[in-house]
Amino acid sequence: MEKQNRVEFKVSGKYALFTDPLTKIGGEKCSYHIPTYEALKGVLSSVYWKPTIVWIIDKVRVMNRIRTQTRSAKPVEYGGGNSLAIYTYLADVEYQIQAHFEWNLHREDMANDRNENKHYFVAKRMIDKGGRRDIFLGARECQGYVEPCRFGEEKSDYDDYGNIAFDLMFHGFDYPDELGKDELHARFWRPNMVDGKIVFIRPEECNIRKTVRKMKANPPQSVGLEEEGLLESFEESEVLK
Amino acid sequence: MSWIHKLYETYENCQSMIGKIAFEKEVPLLPICHTTNKAHVEIVIDQDGNFEKARIANKEHSRTIIPCTESSGGRTRGKAPHPLNDKLQYVAQDYSKYTGRDDSSYFAVVDEKDFKKLGKSVDKKALIEELYKQKHIDEKGVIELTFARLNDYTDMNINPKWGRKKKNIFEILKEKYSQSYVNLLSSWCVSEYMNDKVCAVLKYVQRGSVIKDLIDNKVLLLGDDCKLLEKREGKKQNKKTIDIFDLLPGRINKKGEIENWQADAFIRWEVNIPGDPCSKVWEDKNIWESWRQYYSNTKQVKTLCYVTGKKLLSSDQHPAKLRHDGDKAKLISSNDWAGFTFRGRFTDTKKHNTYQTCGVGFEVTQKAHSALRWLISRQGYRSGDQAIVAWTTSGAELPDPFADPLSILGEEDLVSDEGDNLSTAQNLAIKLKKKLAGYKADLGDTSGIVVMGLDSATQGRMAITFYRELTGSDFLRRIEQWHETCAWIHDYRSIEYKKDNKKKERKYLRFVGAPAPKDIAEAAYGSRADDKLKKATVERLLPCIIDEQQIPQDIVDSAVRRACNRVGMETWEWNKTLSIACALFKKSKEKEVYSMALDPDRKTRDYLYGRLLAIADRLEGLALYKAREKRDTNAARYMQQFADRPNKTWRQIYLSLSPYMARLGGAKDYKDIMDEVMCKFDPIEAFTSDKPLSGEFLLGYHCQRAVLR
Repeated sequence: MEKQNRVEFKVSGKYALFTDPLTKIGGEKCSYHIPTYEALKGVLSSVYWKPTIVWIIDKVRVMNRIRTQTRSAKPVEYGGGNSLAIYTYLADVEYQIQAHFEWNLHREDMANDRNENKHYFVAKRMIDKGGRRDIFLGARECQGYVEPCRFGEEKSDYDDYGNIAFDLMFHGFDYPDELGKDELHARFWRPNMVDGKIVFIRPEECNIRKTVRKMKANPPQSVGLEEEGLLESFEESEVLK
Repeated sequence: MSWIHKLYETYENCQSMIGKIAFEKEVPLLPICHTTNKAHVEIVIDQDGNFEKARIANKEHSRTIIPCTESSGGRTRGKAPHPLNDKLQYVAQDYSKYTGRDDSSYFAVVDEKDFKKLGKSVDKKALIEELYKQKHIDEKGVIELTFARLNDYTDMNINPKWGRKKKNIFEILKEKYSQSYVNLLSSWCVSEYMNDKVCAVLKYVQRGSVIKDLIDNKVLLLGDDCKLLEKREGKKQNKKTIDIFDLLPGRINKKGEIENWQADAFIRWEVNIPGDPCSKVWEDKNIWESWRQYYSNTKQVKTLCYVTGKKLLSSDQHPAKLRHDGDKAKLISSNDWAGFTFRGRFTDTKKHNTYQTCGVGFEVTQKAHSALRWLISRQGYRSGDQAIVAWTTSGAELPDPFADPLSILGEEDLVSDEGDNLSTAQNLAIKLKKKLAGYKADLGDTSGIVVMGLDSATQGRMAITFYRELTGSDFLRRIEQWHETCAWIHDYRSIEYKKDNKKKERKYLRFVGAPAPKDIAEAAYGSRADDKLKKATVERLLPCIIDEQQIPQDIVDSAVRRACNRVGMETWEWNKTLSIACALFKKSKEKEVYSMALDPDRKTRDYLYGRLLAIADRLEGLALYKAREKRDTNAARYMQQFADRPNKTWRQIYLSLSPYMARLGGAKDYKDIMDEVMCKFDPIEAFTSDKPLSGEFLLGYHCQRAVLR
């Protein structure tokens, strides 16, 4: 990577649900107070993603006061009918995110697509447009909106708040296509929020890991631009500026 | 979201409180692998397992700390036995002889019913004979010890005819074996963590004469058919003595009546060993430790604990009984193996559970849940399924965020003020400030407070509906803030006290402060409102206290509306609703800074109209009182109308005042005040307009009424 390819944007929504794994198994989902690395990576991937790149989230800034709201839900049961549950969401959320991308070195078949400018500019344009796919904050029912912004601008409720330390929280999953091995890992870390800003550690730096199970990556096969007949009747020519 | 970590920390910090039972109703902080149960019968034996005596346990001290396994601690329908103390159904070998029932859990007895799972095509009788032939069970169907030692189904010898079902048969037998009381107790006693007293209990129990000894000692009552009585025959002879039926919990029979079934009697042991002062087995800390070590060592699987981040021995089930003894709901529950609550990318099944989704260390979850149970019982607010508790990880005392000032100060503080001369509202406010300052000194600046709210949508699961972590100083400041801003003068609280050691007297105390959320819910929706509505309201008020948020406008409006409807309520209820509505309105309009005393300079229309109403009410009320008539005043009757159309209704009220003014001989004082108020209406359109009044008129009403008293 030759040039710096940092993107900054803000995502806001009415509700967010970053589920705590301990409460998820019971069905009474309760949200973490801060977003997980994986959730933010998901937001950015919904905006723009290609198998060539891997998004790395650098920092997040919490803009609004952390408020929770409980809502009752009627989750549908597998065998038909429904049960009742109480979900605890975060209400009125807004986050400023700073991230960058790197090449996915385990996808050698994408080597020809490693064009920094292309991905960077398309990503920026997609952030301006608000994303290619719909954005959700943690759980699917919490729709969000993406807008471009400058990280650090505007006042947040947590400026000069000080330090808040969180206990062990879920960081993200290591899927086989980004890990290189045929395994699914879960990562954990202990975040620290200083004046509303959280600096994420890189996935490789997470010490506390758990091998969940064996999993095979199964990406759709692609030969890239070498596909036969793709460039028939097209010629290459230079564009003079 | 580190609630479980905070609970674990609290447990570790409060180690000195383990096992101490302060009040009968309170659940103590339990050592891990233990639970509590109410015991009914005490049996005393000696160190060789010989029976000495038996008695009925004292009701006041019947709460017993008993060792339990994961499955027995959360037992609801199943038959998992507790290892040491349990009901007669588990403990007595002669249970079936004296009850005529066959659902004893003493031994692990196998019969045809247990193999239902294998399907109709399997010849169960032949299977049982085969198992007997292979010496896995004896002639009565009791599973042999040799079988228990087998580790895998491949080690089990059986006719190849049943080869395909071998694994299922093995699992059924294993499960049945684990559900036997004597097997569990024996394996504890042969392990390296055995204890002399526990072995004595085992020896006694193996003699098989538990019920017989109890009958001989007149603790249990036998009927004419040589079986235990199902309920008390006839009336009690001697009202002062206590017999077994006084203590039993009782079961509901088919008719829906309560039946006190003697086999439900719970036993606890005392072992007399010369030289050992602690004969009560349930109070012996060595036995707690011995059980804890034995049980922890039966676990083999280690997994990453999601709380501490270390690889620890995993827990299969998480504890229940958090909010009260009959509470079957669990905070962490993982039993939806068929649906997609947590499956999906995880491929675990019930039989092959490698904790892909989530793993918590065994000790961690036991300690955290034990701490939560203790805290809820000790200092939590409970209303039906809802439980809200505030605590600090050091275990220090905290003011209850859900209490009004009188509760925070505690009755002892108030009664100590020499009976008659009870505190004035002013004194109370000062006392409250001092008490909160006292808490501040105890807590210090940095200690963390956690406020947690739990609720259930369905039986069996609990959700965390509210969770906040604050510093101690923040917490106290917010409570003080709440009591200052949402404050009004309230008269509805009373305390009972003994005057000069004679009978109890009730004194109504006036206090200045915020009403309790429960009272706010009642004021807004009535005392006969739906429980769910009251629960939801209390939950909505919690952020107002802890997070300093605005009170939801609909609660304020509802309270104001109810306060205007004077004729719909009794006097005491109306007065309570009125003062609470005033407090709420004052809080919702914080910027206006209303004073609790009469503000003679306030010229807002609503305030002045409220004052007028109070004057008219008082005037008429005085006149009626003098005439000894017990009617409602016109002002009281027209209050609702007054709130909607003040000008028109005022005319009606004023005109009807003339006869009462005459009765009072002119009532010049009242007329003067009325004139004064009327003059303050500026511009005059404020008076002539018929626009409905806001809650502010209640404030004016209340203040003026207080002055005229």
